Parts: sequence; C-alpha cells; structure tokens
Amino acid sequence: MPPKATAIERDGRSAVVRLQGDLVVATAGSLYARLRGLARLRGVKTLVLDFTGAGRIDSAGAAVVALLGRQLRRSGKQLELRRQNDQHRAAIELTPALAPDVRRADAVAGVVERLGARVIETAGGLAAFGGLVVETLAQLTQVLARRKHIPAGSLRHHLELMGVDAIFIVSLLSFLTGMTMAFQGAVQLQRFGAGVFVADMIGMSMVRELVPLMTAVILTGRTGAAIAAELGTMQVRSEVDALSTMGINPVRFLIVPRIIAITAIGPALTLIGIFIGIMGGMMVAQVTLDMPAVTFWSRVVARVTLLDFAHGVGKSVVFAWIIGFVGSYLGLGASGDAGSVGRATTRTVVLSVFFIILVDAVFATIATFTRHR
Amino acid sequence: MTGELVLECRDLSIGYDKPILAHIDLQIAHGEIVVLLGGSGCGKSTLLRTIVGLLPPLAGEVRVFGQSMYGVSPEDRNRLLGRTGTAFQQDALFGAMTVEDNVALPLRELTQLPHAVICEMVRMRLAMVGLPGMERRMPAQISGGQRKRAALARASILDPELMFCDEPSAGLDPVVAAGIDAMILGFRKVLGTSLIVVTHELESIRAIADRAIMLAHGRIHAAGTIAELAASSDPEVFGFFHRVAESTAPPTGAASAAS
Repeated sequence: MPPKATAIERDGRSAVVRLQGDLVVATAGSLYARLRGLARLRGVKTLVLDFTGAGRIDSAGAAVVALLGRQLRRSGKQLELRRQNDQHRAAIELTPALAPDVRRADAVAGVVERLGARVIETAGGLAAFGGLVVETLAQLTQVLARRKHIPAGSLRHHLELMGVDAIFIVSLLSFLTGMTMAFQGAVQLQRFGAGVFVADMIGMSMVRELVPLMTAVILTGRTGAAIAAELGTMQVRSEVDALSTMGINPVRFLIVPRIIAITAIGPALTLIGIFIGIMGGMMVAQVTLDMPAVTFWSRVVARVTLLDFAHGVGKSVVFAWIIGFVGSYLGLGASGDAGSVGRATTRTVVLSVFFIILVDAVFATIATFTRHR
Repeated sequence: MTGELVLECRDLSIGYDKPILAHIDLQIAHGEIVVLLGGSGCGKSTLLRTIVGLLPPLAGEVRVFGQSMYGVSPEDRNRLLGRTGTAFQQDALFGAMTVEDNVALPLRELTQLPHAVICEMVRMRLAMVGLPGMERRMPAQISGGQRKRAALARASILDPELMFCDEPSAGLDPVVAAGIDAMILGFRKVLGTSLIVVTHELESIRAIADRAIMLAHGRIHAAGTIAELAASSDPEVFGFFHRVAESTAPPTGAASAAS
C-alpha cells in the first residue's frame, strides 16, 4: 500500500503531516521526496509527523525519518514525531544517534591535504621499494657467497619459464622488426643512392635500441606480470606470512631466484633478438637491394663496435632489474582480495614500461653527450 | 510448532553425486530461530545451500513462504530470495568494494530508493551491527569479526523475513561471538526475522536457539529444544553437548544421571 502524506496542515511555523499506509522499501522513496520538499520551505520551522494512520515501518521508513531529522537540524529546524505505536518506535530506534557522518568528514579534507597525503604515500612507497631492493641485494650477496641458498630447482624453473618459453616470441618479433626496418630503410636510402648503408642502420638500431627495448616490453608483459600475479596470490593466501613465521626470509626464498633468472634472461634474449633481427634485415636487403650476405655482415661488423654491444646489453640488464623489482614489490604489496592481485599485475606492466622508457631516454642522452665530447 | 511456516522441507535428499542427507523433513515457523548442528562434514552447509537455491535437491521439495524454491522461473525464485538474507561462512564480501558499497548492494540492485536514503539505511545497519564509521573501509582493512558483522549487515539490509547464517561466530573470540549472538536475537526482536543458523558453538546455540536440529549419519538424528537435546542420553547428542570425544565410550548412564 503506498503511503499518502495526506492532510498536510500548516499551523503557524509548523507543518503537520498525517502519515497513511506502510512506510516500507516500496514507498519510502516517494515519501522522502515529498517530505524533503516540505522541509525545505522557508516558512516551516517544525515538521510534525503524525503516525496515527501509519502502518508498518521497515528500515527504509526508519531511514527516511532519521535522514529528515538530520537535514532539519542542520538548517536549524525541528522534527517532531507524534502518536507512534510500539512497532514504529522499535523501527525508528534502529537509528544510530552517535554514528558518525563519514561522508561529511571526508568532504572536509581539502585539496592540499589530499595532495599532501598523496606525496607522503608516494614517498613511503619509494622508501619501501628501496628497502626491498637493498634487502634483495643483501640476500643475493649471501647466496652468491654460499652462506645461504635458494630453493632447490627454483632457478632452473624460472629460467625455463622466463627464458626458454620466451625465445620464440622474442625471435619472431625481432625478425619482423628487422625486416620492417630494412624495408623502410632501403626505400629511403635508395633515393640517395645510399642503399648499402641499410646494413649499418639495421646493425646499429637493433643492437643499441630496438631489440633491448622490445625484449624488455615482452618480458614486462610475460614475466613482470607473472611475477606480480604469483607473489600477489601468495600474499593474499598468507603464504608469504607462512614463510616468515617459519623463519624463512621471503625475499631470499621468492625474489632472489627470480632476480637471478631475469638478470640472465634479459641479456640472453636480447642477444638472440639482435642476431635474429639482423638476419631479418639481411634477408630483405638481399631481396630488395641484391646485397650479398657477406657484404651485409661485413658492414654490420665494421659499424657495430663492442661498445655498442655493451650499451645494448647493459641496458637490457637494467631493464630486467626494473621488471623484476617492480613486479616483486607490487606483487608483495597485494593484500586482502583477488582484485588487489589484478591491480598489482596491471600496475607492474604500466610502471615497468614507464621506467624502461625513462631509463632508455637517460641512456640515449648520456651516450649522445659523451660522444659529443 | 505453531504459527505461519516460513520454510518447509519435505522428504528432501541433497548432495552432489550421491546423497549426503536423505529424508529431511524440516519446518520453521515465523519468528523462530532454529540451529542446525552436527559434526564437520555432516551436510549442514550443503543443506543450507539447497534451501537458498544454490544446489538443487536430488529429491523432495523446499518451500519458502509457501512457494516452491525449485521448479519455478528464475524471476519467481529471485522474488522469493528477495525476502530472505544469507550470510555465508566465508563472509563473501566483495573485496573490491567498500563496506558501504557491499552493504548497499541489495538496495541499489533491488530497490528504487534514493541515494540519500540508501546511505542512511547502510549507516543505520552498520551502527546496529557495531561497525559505525566503517563505511569507507575495504573488507581487507577490517578484522575477521568485523567482516562477519558486515556480512550480516548486508544479509539483513532488506529487512528479510527469513535469514540464513552459516557459522556466523566461527573462529571469533567469545566477546565478538556474543555480540553476533545478540545481533541475531536483535534481528528477530526488531525486524521480526526468522533465522536458521548453522553453528558448532555451544555457547551460541544456548544463547539463540529456540530449537536445534542435529544432523548425523545422513539424516536428522535428533531435534528438539536445547533443554531436550542437552538432556538426551543418545551418545551422539550427549557427545556434542558435553564435548565428549568420539573415541570415548558412550556414557549412557552418565547422561541419564545428568538429565
């Protein structure tokens, strides 16, 4: 039965509403809209709800009464309840007199406070990340010095998972990138009669830039996300806490094997990618420029120095650490629910790619600056 | 048993591949609190899953508010379920939602109430279950006991006529468990709710139950008021109420003396 807030009587500065019917979930919305409109009238200082004709009240009806009372008090007005029966009183007594108004408390926080909280949170995150890196390096040192050990078989497992399984995709993408670069380069360089320099271009770009970067992006998607998801799930299932309570250092047990594996895998995949990428370029040069393989390779070997290799492979080591540490940090930071694992995985990919490109830009800047000198 | 029936199970057989429980006849009257008890793995939670529509029975019938739970359209079943509330053993709060959003979910999905009224109802219900000011917390940021209470707040937010609670106080300290018992009694007193509670906790059973139904050996092994069951000389019932280990010989003589 819908309520009818009938017989709204004005008595000076009071409005008396004689409620009719049930005040329940099905009717509370329309009743609230009518009463709120009445409460906003300037001439009304006291709103009286007369329950003589009211039926049953449920939590929704009680919430309307409580909400209206608070809104009236805020604007210096009053709510008066008359002639309630026992059921009405019991329902309305559900209203928590002392429950804090969380929404208002939150709204008080200003822009500066929110910004400050964000800065503090970021600083805390960076400190925790630094702590994890330091702890990992300390544990790694202990492992390398054979004072402590990592779980048997874990290194081989991670090497297979991160490296062997990724060889095909890295090789394929490097090959296609080499071909694409050669096609683009051949067309442009031929216009200036400089088609032979396509070998120089492929060699330099593959070794110094493209393959390290592309391999790092693939590793981020495959390995970084997997590290975050694995560690996040372990954290949510309290497996990391279980290690700690057994006196086993979780960093040594979980992170050190992954860092060792990715440190080996990053440069290894990069070297494979460089070779396959140059092969792709060589095949295109043979087809489009009639350039013999020997000529192509002799130009590559003459142009690309050991320093260029050190640049590309060195970058790949740094990229691998970024992926490993970011994935580990965010994975261990997951807590409570399955959603946090998903968020950790997504953030790992986004942050790793961001830092990889940032570091790549730093490498390029330093290299250019030192050459100019 | 007198009064309008809110739940009736007739010759119910339940299970997955083969029956876990068979020939279950069960009636719950309006305003009654009935406790399902029995050893681990006896089928208490499975029976609850069948009653709330999650596991079709192998045989027999479940009637809620006089209507069959199975063999009706999904809309009709949802209408029936809208008059009930279920609090699961593992709280089943959505981890990606705040406590407020968890508790408000049935209101937002099943009613047309304005946002302000929904927020007020959630605020009231959280205060009722002893979680005032927890609206903005995530489930992961509150304790196990608080999560149980938030789950009860969500299960009761629509003022259900019938509530099902699966081990609401399991694993909680005695003070929090007593608070949950008080809440269950409060739901009946304030909202007029009937409840079926699955629990092992003797203190809770004594505090809340009008009747208890003991499940064992794939059937209803014993039923009655708490006083009747506590005085029973049946070895299984005696063992449960007097915490006698299974390996101990049935103390029939002692039970008779105790009763």
